[in-house]
Amino acid sequence: MSATHTHEQSFVGKYIFSRDHKIIGIQFLFTSIIFLFLGGLLALGVRTQLGWPNAEIPIIGKWLFPGSAGGKMSPDFYNMLFTMHATVMIFFVIIPWLTGAFGNFTIPLMIGAPDMAFPTLNMLSYWFMWPAFIIMLMSFVVFGGAASSGWTSYPTIASLMMPEGTTSPASMGSGLGQILWLTSLTFVGVSSMMGSVNYITTIINMRAPGMTLFRMPMTVWAMFITAILQAMALPVLTVALIFQLLDKTIGTTFFLPPAGATIGNWTTGPGGGQPILWQHLFWFYSHPAVYIMILPAMGMVSDVIVTFSRKPLFGYKPMVLAVAGIAGLGFIVWGHHMFQSGMDPRLGTGFMLATILIALPSAVKVFNWLGTTWNANLHLTTPMLNALAFVALFVIGGLSGIFMAATPVDMYFHNTYFIVAHIHYVLFMSSIFGLFAGVYYWYPKMFGRLMNEFWGKVHFFLTFVSANCAFYPMHIVGIGGQPRRYAIPVDADYMAHLQGLNTWISIWAIVMGFSQFIFLANFIVSLFTGPKASRNPWKAATLEWGTPSPPGHGNFEKEPLVIRGPYEYSGPECAPGEDYAVQAPNLVVPEGIPTPVKR
Amino acid sequence: MHRFWGWTFGSVLLGIFLLSAVSPWMNWWLPKGTSSYSPEIDKLFYLILAVVTFFYVLTEVLLVVNICRSGAPGRKAQFTHGSQKLELLWSVIPGVILVTLAVVQIQVWANIKYPSHMLQSFEKGEQYLQMGVEARQWEYRMRYPSPARVAEWESAAKAKEDFVRRLPERFDDVHVVNDVHVWKDQKVLIHLKTRDVGHSLFFPNLRLKQDALPGRTIPVWFEAKEANTQFNPASKTWTDGWRQEGSQWVSDPHNVFDLVCTQYCGTRHSLMRGKLYVHPTKEDFLAWLKQAQELNNDKKGTPTAVAANP
Repeated sequence: MSATHTHEQSFVGKYIFSRDHKIIGIQFLFTSIIFLFLGGLLALGVRTQLGWPNAEIPIIGKWLFPGSAGGKMSPDFYNMLFTMHATVMIFFVIIPWLTGAFGNFTIPLMIGAPDMAFPTLNMLSYWFMWPAFIIMLMSFVVFGGAASSGWTSYPTIASLMMPEGTTSPASMGSGLGQILWLTSLTFVGVSSMMGSVNYITTIINMRAPGMTLFRMPMTVWAMFITAILQAMALPVLTVALIFQLLDKTIGTTFFLPPAGATIGNWTTGPGGGQPILWQHLFWFYSHPAVYIMILPAMGMVSDVIVTFSRKPLFGYKPMVLAVAGIAGLGFIVWGHHMFQSGMDPRLGTGFMLATILIALPSAVKVFNWLGTTWNANLHLTTPMLNALAFVALFVIGGLSGIFMAATPVDMYFHNTYFIVAHIHYVLFMSSIFGLFAGVYYWYPKMFGRLMNEFWGKVHFFLTFVSANCAFYPMHIVGIGGQPRRYAIPVDADYMAHLQGLNTWISIWAIVMGFSQFIFLANFIVSLFTGPKASRNPWKAATLEWGTPSPPGHGNFEKEPLVIRGPYEYSGPECAPGEDYAVQAPNLVVPEGIPTPVKR
Repeated sequence: MHRFWGWTFGSVLLGIFLLSAVSPWMNWWLPKGTSSYSPEIDKLFYLILAVVTFFYVLTEVLLVVNICRSGAPGRKAQFTHGSQKLELLWSVIPGVILVTLAVVQIQVWANIKYPSHMLQSFEKGEQYLQMGVEARQWEYRMRYPSPARVAEWESAAKAKEDFVRRLPERFDDVHVVNDVHVWKDQKVLIHLKTRDVGHSLFFPNLRLKQDALPGRTIPVWFEAKEANTQFNPASKTWTDGWRQEGSQWVSDPHNVFDLVCTQYCGTRHSLMRGKLYVHPTKEDFLAWLKQAQELNNDKKGTPTAVAANP
């Protein structure tokens, strides 16, 4: 295996249509962060309506809602906001950031490979996101607006073929906006499938000598298992999207019941399909998708926690088995999204059993993280704080899942804010904190500079406090019975008293949203003026820290020879005076630049 | 700095615990449960809450302790790759708890939702007020049997046939919009349909939720255990928000039992709403039903039964 090889590359070949996994990873990173802010803006729109229902929105209200007296948000606009918030965050932020950015960047470096198995396919997997981006952004400005039937797009509200033109009588956003939504996500699915095939092949085939499977860091294990999830689940979503696209355009009836549907005065033709079929197909992908959205973060968090605990990972093999267990069980629990849907309740019992069991490997992981940080030498750097927040808040997100796994209790909580609380604890508070940990940790390797520690900690503190103040009370309003996806949040008598909590949540959501600009500023400014990073600023043991910061094309100056596992910290194999033993000592070169990090 | 971060984590996590603890007293909690199965469901909720609280406190305290303990400079980390004993401990104990939780709830779910259990109930001769609810954008259309059919219970065989055939339309059915009227301690079986998109029937006080699917009729049953409706002679209508204390009625705003839609259904999803009126006796219910029938017959243009989804 050759290491670095130089050849002349044009600017376009080197930075735009790059086939270098590091550049592709950074491309995914940049676009994910841009969409993070779009998704966040949409969320602030949702929270504005929920915090101050039917209020006149200052400044932009009259421009956005010219039809309403005084600039008030319409329910149709609100419905579009929550739909697109979820769509953008799931498909354009979390999945590309975790798998596209970090999967791409870390896998070859951490297994000792010069690049991915299929560099051209890798480049395509990024560029296939661009039609998705453009189509989705276009959907905001077509007649009827962007999709507005929830990111779940259930038939028949989303799926009916329009009687004429491209407007749907069922819902404003179910016209051209929905068609574009379906098309865009098909591109996202293809991009992810390309990536997953690449990752699986690379990890199986291209590990450096001595890098056995059980010497791989948790990040790589997590990315590997996630890629398998993607490869197996995405085809089902793609099929579902195409079925709905056909239903909407050429009049197939995959999701239209035999008697059709009657919207107001308009009746469709006869059907022959089943609306619930969509739910099965959609959730067969989307449940594994939520594990796609957390397992990589769990892997990264494990690596960050170990590095800043200066201690081996507690229970490495159980941790690997737990990731596999979560993924495997994740394929047989999709019906828990459908307990109350009209699906045969006996199936519900089956899905309940599998769902309750999934709590077990998740619990095992939490206990092992606690074991790792016990009797440790913790360095509370910014990445470490974010990783610890992941653990603390994933506990809450995971525990709240047990209520919903219990079918009789789910009868009450389904489609209430309790679900929204759960979602955001596992997605924002877990995945996003995990992503922040990964960014602060691998930034020096990506860009050759360190992010600012002080502002990183300010960002962490503000986000940690404001996010909990915003999202925890959602459990409470959910217990009070407030439904989700309500443009007018608490109008019914039994929940009218919950408005105060909604306003509280909105205020903290705004604080949290604005705090992210600190991260953005830190990220951008450090690219230019951050302190230059050494090869191994964190004194970590895994292979990527044996390369220059950033690594050159081909990654390693010589082929790594791996002689130990990834987590040999504070043990007998460490050199005297050091508390870590690198996986491949043949990569070590004398440090030229002192480590400027304050520990 | 470790103490600062220990305090940060600790106070946020403690704040979460305290907010949850005070919520019932602040009235930010479950609405009153008034069905025959709401006690079982609430018990299960509290059982899970207890288990969850225990593990929350255990793990978060350990985490905060770990953060605080690690502050000493020059501290050496313990070199260990794990402990098989601990792994067994924290796999088996949660595993047993989870399996127990799973097993104790199966009957509760089956009794409420399994159509086979409902069928068995009919075969045993239990009596249900069977009614139809057809959801549409953005209202619920209730279809009651006529007072004559309710006054005298039908034979068990006829009732079962109605159940199996999903309560066919009859010429003398009484049609009402958005209001579900039942009477106390009487089992009610709703045949739930939708004519356009997905909707849902959610009665927070009954703890009952069932989504409606286009193309299907789904049976849903409940038994209300508390009356909240009495006749108001001045307005000659029945009003809710009443609580019975012995033979007296007391005004109580908590005794308004809402029905809300919880399956996203378009523009007015958040305004699609009904009410559950629980009459104290069958006679009182019949009096209301007769009045509703008269209103049906008097009014021109009353929505008549539309057999869109037979």
